[in-house]
Amino acid sequence: MTRTASPRVEGYAALAGAAFVAALALRRPELAVAGAPFALVLALGLRLARDPRVRLGLELETTRTLEDSRVAAELTVRGETAVDRLELFLDLPADVEVAEAAAAAAIRLRPGEERSLPFELRCRHWGVHRVGDIEVRVRDPLRLVVWEERFALGTTLKAYPREEQLDRLLAPLQTRALTGSDVARTKGDGIEYADLRDYVPGDRLRSINWRASARRTSLVVNERHPERNTDVVLLVDSFSDVRGPSRSTLDEAVRATAALATRYLDRRDRVGLVSFGGLLRWIQPGLGLVQRFRLIESLLETGVSPTYAWRNVNVIPGRALPSKALVLGLTPLVDPRFVSAIQDLRARGYDVAVVEIDPAGAVEPGRSEAERLAYRLWLLQRETLRSQLVRLGIAVSRWDASSPLEVPVEEVRTFRRYARLARV
Amino acid sequence: MRGGDLVLQVGIRMAAVAIVVLVIALVLGWARLVPLALGLLGGVYALYLAADDPPIDVATPVFAAGLLVAAELAYWSLEERENVSAERGEVLRRAAIVAVEGAIALVLGAGLLALADAARTRGLAVDLFGAAAAAAALLLLARLARR
Repeated sequence: MTRTASPRVEGYAALAGAAFVAALALRRPELAVAGAPFALVLALGLRLARDPRVRLGLELETTRTLEDSRVAAELTVRGETAVDRLELFLDLPADVEVAEAAAAAAIRLRPGEERSLPFELRCRHWGVHRVGDIEVRVRDPLRLVVWEERFALGTTLKAYPREEQLDRLLAPLQTRALTGSDVARTKGDGIEYADLRDYVPGDRLRSINWRASARRTSLVVNERHPERNTDVVLLVDSFSDVRGPSRSTLDEAVRATAALATRYLDRRDRVGLVSFGGLLRWIQPGLGLVQRFRLIESLLETGVSPTYAWRNVNVIPGRALPSKALVLGLTPLVDPRFVSAIQDLRARGYDVAVVEIDPAGAVEPGRSEAERLAYRLWLLQRETLRSQLVRLGIAVSRWDASSPLEVPVEEVRTFRRYARLARV
Repeated sequence: MRGGDLVLQVGIRMAAVAIVVLVIALVLGWARLVPLALGLLGGVYALYLAADDPPIDVATPVFAAGLLVAAELAYWSLEERENVSAERGEVLRRAAIVAVEGAIALVLGAGLLALADAARTRGLAVDLFGAAAAAAALLLLARLARR
């Protein structure tokens, strides 16, 4: 522990010294008497101050939590020597706070005494947070000496993004061969009714539609749509993050991606992730709970890595973008490299839809006339960009966190229901 | 204006300045101003002693104890500026320590004052002994502070 003198030492020494000098100069013993208590406190305090020995341990109830949820924690402190006042300061990241208490506590320890200090942590923001750094300050009984040490207990807390409300999902144009929850456009064994056709030898008797057959002269059978699963690739734009006072487009994109991934995986679809930006991160499509954790843990590391290099979809591995996959882009449509990548994917025949994380709310229109004009021009430019994407057959819907994620998903569904499939 | 009145007025102004300096130190958290404020109060007392020149001031132990308690409370106040949740009873315990320090200062002051009063008429040798003791005390302080 680093030992330093408190401001008292300097102050008391100055007062005692001045009193003694004044007593000699003025030949008044009263002034020496006035300075003597300060000298006594200094002499006693410095003589009695002993270097303390303290041990610390931090335990978290869990190392994984949800945004805005609380995690119980316990700080264990053991004093090898007597400690008159032990101040503990939790050095927490900006997005983590101690719930309903101060992040600092002061206790007194007898020799060999062990104390447990329970508290609760709350993560205000998703991410991987390091919470094990503790600043310790010890004071002696007369508060003349201060010992300080920083303990790095190396505990990380992962806060997963909170889930967005999402009941209906975007259906893909094409499905895979495996069984899932999507009604395929093809005909085969399934539950959903598709059409009627004439009976041919080999058809199962249970598929004969007896009512329709009675109205005709020949047997007819029901045709059905099979239930299949699909590949969904969530393409997150990490080229740019438009930050306002209370929102960030990247944060909202990550929350939306986590919600979409969870819901698609619940439907037994294969979900993959491509974080396309300065750093390329990708996870090839997969199924199940493990894939869910893999995706969300990867999302936690998503951040903007500034780069000026031009990137296109060629840098994305083929395994991460299977053919017939539904590619769902989550982007503020700010960086031309991401827009170009979306257009490129559409041109290669992928089924592409875009949820635009609307950055307009995070940008101030400005005060001067010129600034407001620039803002309006920028909005018009964005409208033009959206129109270009729509003309390519890419459904684009705007979303900000003030509305449920269902709204843009429903918009895209509606667009795809009524728009013609563009073959490019 | 008589000399006594002038000293009184200067003393009142110095005391007022000392209080303002102490308030600034506490509000802004500048610990270095605390000894300056208390030094000014000591200066007022020295001025009074120099002007009135009483044989021996019996109120000195009270002044010494008061000065120490004021210093302790000022530094305590500065230490509590940080938002640290202390245990129950911590404030009472600290207040008791400050009170004990004040009481010890009172007793020590009274003892030293009695000693000084007894030594007052003993001549140059006692004065030299006193000066040597003061210098030794300062040296001891400097040595302890360096540790």
